[in-house]
Amino acid sequence: MVNNQSKLGYMWKFKTLYFLSIPGLLYFLVFKYVPLFGSVIAFQDFNLFSGVFGSPWVGFKHFERMFSHYDFINILKNTLLLGMYDILFAFTAPIVLALLLNEVRLMLYKKIIQTVMYAPHFLSWVIVSGIFVGILSPESGVLNVMIGWFGVDPIYFLGDESYIRTILVGSGLWRDVGWGTIIYLAALAGINPDLYEAAEIDGAGRWKQTLNITLPALLPVVTILFLLKIGDFMDYGFERVFVFQNPLNIQNSEILDTYIYKAGLRQLQFSYATAIGVFKSVVGLTLLMIANTLSKKATGESLY
Amino acid sequence: MTRFLTRAGVLLTTFALLVACSGNNGGNEGGNATTAPTATNNGAGTVDEKKDPVKFSISMRTLNVAYVEKHPDINEDKYVKKLEELTNSDLDIRLIPHNEYQDKMVQMFATNDIPDVVQGSGGLSGAELAGGVANGVFLPLNDLLEEHGKDLLAFIPEAAWDRMTDDKTGNIYGIPEVLTNPSRRATWIRTDLLEKAGKEIPTTVEETLEVLRAFKELGVEQPFAGRQNFKYADTFFGAYDVFGYLNQFKLFPDGQVKPSFFDSENMKKAIQVYKTMYDEGLISKEFATVESSDFRSNITSGKVGMWSMNANELPIWGAQLKNNVPDAEIALIPSPVGPDGSGGYAHYNPVTRSYLINAEAKDKAADIVKYFNWMVSEEAELFFSYGIEGEDYQVVNGEPKFEVPTDTEGTDKMRYLNYWLWMVQDTTYNKMVSSLSDSGLQMIDAFDNMLSKEGRRGIEFDPRLEALIQNPDLNPKSDEMPPLVLEKVLRIVYGKDSLDSFDQVLEEYLSKGGNDVIKEATERYNSKENSFE
Repeated sequence: MVNNQSKLGYMWKFKTLYFLSIPGLLYFLVFKYVPLFGSVIAFQDFNLFSGVFGSPWVGFKHFERMFSHYDFINILKNTLLLGMYDILFAFTAPIVLALLLNEVRLMLYKKIIQTVMYAPHFLSWVIVSGIFVGILSPESGVLNVMIGWFGVDPIYFLGDESYIRTILVGSGLWRDVGWGTIIYLAALAGINPDLYEAAEIDGAGRWKQTLNITLPALLPVVTILFLLKIGDFMDYGFERVFVFQNPLNIQNSEILDTYIYKAGLRQLQFSYATAIGVFKSVVGLTLLMIANTLSKKATGESLY
Repeated sequence: MTRFLTRAGVLLTTFALLVACSGNNGGNEGGNATTAPTATNNGAGTVDEKKDPVKFSISMRTLNVAYVEKHPDINEDKYVKKLEELTNSDLDIRLIPHNEYQDKMVQMFATNDIPDVVQGSGGLSGAELAGGVANGVFLPLNDLLEEHGKDLLAFIPEAAWDRMTDDKTGNIYGIPEVLTNPSRRATWIRTDLLEKAGKEIPTTVEETLEVLRAFKELGVEQPFAGRQNFKYADTFFGAYDVFGYLNQFKLFPDGQVKPSFFDSENMKKAIQVYKTMYDEGLISKEFATVESSDFRSNITSGKVGMWSMNANELPIWGAQLKNNVPDAEIALIPSPVGPDGSGGYAHYNPVTRSYLINAEAKDKAADIVKYFNWMVSEEAELFFSYGIEGEDYQVVNGEPKFEVPTDTEGTDKMRYLNYWLWMVQDTTYNKMVSSLSDSGLQMIDAFDNMLSKEGRRGIEFDPRLEALIQNPDLNPKSDEMPPLVLEKVLRIVYGKDSLDSFDQVLEEYLSKGGNDVIKEATERYNSKENSFE
């Protein structure tokens, strides 16, 4: 009783803070938790007009159908490969770039570079694909003109499945690498300059300073961002892949997201699409939990 | 569920408004469906009517019509106003974006935000209606049509009504717009180039290839216009009768009903033609990524010698090409014929658009049917062909005098009036406008005397075969081969696989669910269940 009273009193004392948190809580409730219940349609034969409560339950039928699909292994492989490439390149590139930018001493020059590199982030994927299609075109593309100087025949990059992953990862890198540096630059700005001064007095050069001061200071941010990235490992994004897809490269570019769109939404198989979505989320969650545990053990940094 | 969804939707949108300024990503779901263009109360009250105008909402696909897509508010358009005045109605048009038609329609059904009149695209089981007919969302129209739609019943042919009739109940669920000549696509050629090359109009596949080679020698950049997925570039599949589209199933000598590409001998010949064109540079090397807008601009900027397009585009595309290349002359020619002596393109569904009435709009249904009944009247024909009297045309001695516009703005407007806003008509071509210009007359002649004799017809199933729905890779579109086959054909054309490997894809087709497709198709064909020929 007493305990309860003091709790209420405690809450009353900080009523403004609690009040302020309401919109945030509502946001998660409405946009993140309520939609979770929609996932039950993965276990139903969902009918748009009968709704969740009227549609018949079918157990794991849609999951079985997904696993037995003849192309499932290939689609999963593409999804995982693209996710891995993305972590390998798109995740590390901003770190390297931020470190390099940090070494630029001329403020104006640095600001200009930063702005130029942010810009592509604001282009939609449709536009990005338009630019890349233009650059890669075998008849008029810049890239083919350039390799033409070395006597190489034009290559139809988008019409060849062996280039598509490079194009996908490369275009993503081009679009988002500048944007990704923001958070690292902020972390770098927070490092106490005294540390560098002290190191300099001890005779450390720029390379040693980076290795022994900058990198360790960045590590917590890197770990957290890496864990977040792992969380949506399977979420390569629908749009960026879809805009580059054509029948000639689909063998290497079909991923779960694009398959969900085609099989699920285009053919109105909501339950099937949801089943694939649930599978994706479960894999994502598992990966996140594994990575989090490993990270906690290894570095002491973790999400939760 | 629907009520739950509505409530959730209301909650979502309210909340979306609250968090909108924070720019979070969570709001995308609520934003799409619920913010369809809202009703704008127009000032219809200015005209004193005997009876209050019937007020109803209607969803309409924009169909890439520039006039509609650029309009700030179509409900305020003067032609819509005039239409309302003529029919004593008060329309609330909700536009559905052309390219996201199916997705947006399904969202509309999912959020239970259905207008009084829903525009479908032909047939009652199309994916855009999301199974609404079977679930009792729409009103059966038989009695209403008997009473208020006599002109419609007289004007629209039986075949089109058949598509609007539910086989199980025998009820008519929609008012169709018809295409009386289902052979709409045509082969186009630049006759000025043909003359320069000193060639005759080609009739066979071989002659066509010769002409294309001659074009190449003249320096034409793309003798034949290729396009992604062979859309509007399927001329040679037509010559060999191997389209394999949704309405192109065929009865094979073994008694089974299969997609037409199972005629592997002819299919290989057709693929070989494309391969030859690709190898000799008679089509763009990157045609696999050419989209519709590039396709059009390639043609209208004069880079192309021969192509395929809907014949009714002749006046407009012709005018645009002439603007860019003054010497250009276009003609519609008979499509190249294959070994069986015929050719042409896949026939269209006789229903292009249809209008279904929401069961909840029962009270207005009679007036809505009257509204559509007016669409086939002479008054309607005059209005939708020429526009508003005194503004778009003059009446001299009791005869309407109309000038056919030639500029982009004018042609856009005509397209909107003749084709988009005229909701129920024979949409083959507009007689009144076309007969006023040379290119229009040329087009009418092509439709009546040439296209009506060509084209490929097959067996079609509506509703779609269940086995196709279960296997998206085997499911063809109305004018595209199934992804599995299309992929293989492109690989062969691009030289990645050999021509003989086409037989493998047929094996693959069968093993990946094709056996079920053929079994179901044969059964349904034999029992005449929802199959059209």
